[in-house]
Amino acid sequence: MTRATSSTKRATFLWSAAFMVGMSGTGALLFTDFVQPPWGMAVMLVPMLLLIPLVRASERMQRAAGSASPAAARYNRRMLAASFAYVIGFLVAVALFVDQTVSKPVAAMLSLLPTFGTFGMIWAMARYVTEESDEYLRVRTVNAALVATGLLLATGTFWGFLTTFGVAPHVPMWVLVPIWAMGLGIGQLVNKVREA
Amino acid sequence: MKNRLKVLRAERDWSQGDLAERLEVSRQSVNAIETGKYDPSLPLAFRIADLFGLSIEDIFLRDA
Repeated sequence: MTRATSSTKRATFLWSAAFMVGMSGTGALLFTDFVQPPWGMAVMLVPMLLLIPLVRASERMQRAAGSASPAAARYNRRMLAASFAYVIGFLVAVALFVDQTVSKPVAAMLSLLPTFGTFGMIWAMARYVTEESDEYLRVRTVNAALVATGLLLATGTFWGFLTTFGVAPHVPMWVLVPIWAMGLGIGQLVNKVREA
Repeated sequence: MKNRLKVLRAERDWSQGDLAERLEVSRQSVNAIETGKYDPSLPLAFRIADLFGLSIEDIFLRDA
C-alpha cells in the first residue's frame, strides 16, 4: 500500500467516524431536554454536513487506489444529494406529523417526503450500474448489491418469524434501506476477502 | 485465468496506470486482471489483444 493510499484511507476513516459520532450524538440529544422535536431535530443537519468532506476524502481514496471513475464521481454526488433530500424530507414529515392531528390522506402524503430521498438513492445506484463503463468496478458493485439484497431478505424473513412468534418487537419497514446500505458495506468487505 | 499481461507490460515499460489509460479502464481493473482475480469480458479481452497486437490466446492461458 502506498503512502498516498494509506493517508487517504485514514482520512476517509476519520471523516466516517466523525459522521457516525455526530449522528449518534445528535440522536442522543433528542432524548434530552436540550433538543425538542420536531424542529430541534434540525440539529441532525449539522453532522449531515460532514458527509461533504467524507465524500471528498472517499474520492481521494478512490483516486489513490486507482478505482476512481467519472461514473463513481457522479454516483457520489447523487447519493449525497439524495441523503440530504432524505433527511430534510424526514425532518419536515416528522415536524408536520408531530401532533398527529393530520388526516390519513395528508399522513400518506407526508410519508412520501422521506421516501423521495430513498428513491433518489435507488436511482443513483441504478444509474451507476448503467453508466459505469469499467466492467470490473461494475461487477464489484453488483456483487456487493447481491450480498446486501441477500442479507436484507434473510434478515427480514428471520425478523418476521421472530415477530410472529412473539420473540422480537415489530420493526418499522423504513429500516429496510439503512439495512440494505449496511449490507452494501458488508458486500464490499466480502469483495475484498474474496480477492485477498 | 493466468495471463501474460505483466510480462507484456514490462516489455513495453508500461506501468499498470499506463495500461489502464490505454484501455480506458481503472488501474484497479488492470491489477485485478493481471493477478488473475478477474477474468475480462470478451470485448475487453479483444481490446487488450488489439493493444498488444496479439491474439487473445497469446495473452490469456487456458486453465490446466
